[in-house]
Amino acid sequence: MIRAQWSKNILLLIFLALLFLLSGCAAKTTVVLLPDPDGKVGHVTVSTDVGSTDITQAREATTVKGRESLPTSPKILSSDAINAEFSRVLTMLPSQPVHFILYFEGGSTDLTAESRQTLPAILESINNRKSQHISVIGHSDTVGDNQYNLQLSQERAAAIRRLLVQQGVASTFITSTSHGEENPLVKTADNVNEPKNRRVEVVVK
Amino acid sequence: MSIFACQLLANRFSMLFFADETECGAERMKSIYGELICIFFLVFAPGYAGAQQDSAGFVKTVAGDVYITSSQTTVKAVANMRLSQGDSIQTGPNGSVGLIFDDDTVVALGPNSEIAIENFLFNPAEKQLSFVTRLIRGTFSFISGQIAKLAPQKVVLQTPDATLGVRGTKFLVKVD
Repeated sequence: MIRAQWSKNILLLIFLALLFLLSGCAAKTTVVLLPDPDGKVGHVTVSTDVGSTDITQAREATTVKGRESLPTSPKILSSDAINAEFSRVLTMLPSQPVHFILYFEGGSTDLTAESRQTLPAILESINNRKSQHISVIGHSDTVGDNQYNLQLSQERAAAIRRLLVQQGVASTFITSTSHGEENPLVKTADNVNEPKNRRVEVVVK
Repeated sequence: MSIFACQLLANRFSMLFFADETECGAERMKSIYGELICIFFLVFAPGYAGAQQDSAGFVKTVAGDVYITSSQTTVKAVANMRLSQGDSIQTGPNGSVGLIFDDDTVVALGPNSEIAIENFLFNPAEKQLSFVTRLIRGTFSFISGQIAKLAPQKVVLQTPDATLGVRGTKFLVKVD
């Protein structure tokens, strides 16, 4: 009698465990393509073990139920349907970091007259984004040897950091790095005076 | 098994303590094995586990309950907290979070969501690029960044059902 009760309980337990496994594993993935902030539409490939589907148009979606099945053929969703499911992640999505490039006079840490005018826009971006992560990356052209240019690019980054701090940006928010002549915007031979390579990139995140 | 993979498995395990949705039983068992192997490593290779400290990005905005699990430790997320390769991020029923990666990729997680940063490398000067994440459950929005532009094949997003390849774009994902 007790034995029968026992095996009944075990059967129930196995049944519940199976149910749990099934419910836990019955997953599906939906992917929806949207236009980029600049209006361009890219493309996403959704693959499983048995095949793949490309979505290539704005608001196009595909759904896949497990790795042993094919993703559904693409279907365009209404904006309402997308908002119903995704409004929270759409409002929460941070805007992408903003990149600025400041140019320098040859062999110096003086900004060109034009680039001096860019500073207010950088400060505005830092304020608007309430940014606490600002990267300052120094570069040089290839005039002079590597060591000299590494130091020059460091000094350029340091100069921009000082300017930002003078304008009230907390120095702990700024990360400086420098690449010397190793990472030119325009590839040149050695010892070439190239204004576009004498620069500091500021990334406001 | 590398210490990195081991940490990942261990992270998965510790997350189960406050996961509020059912998970696959098989996954659980795997995680328990991972934890055991990891304990083995931590005991016999002290100091080694702290080696993976490269930055992957940071938390830009937080709403509601959001947690970050990093090397078996789980903390409540706050804005501007650093993210590293190997971290996972979980949101509660009222939580959502916005993340910015070092390559300019931006990501948001909706409520009851979970993502694991399996591999992140952004060193364009040395052509070292990798963006591998697992979308475990929930809703996500993405705008891909420089890695997707420079080397699209290096961007791999895994869900329990599929693998996503991305060519420079904005998109949404729901895993349920």
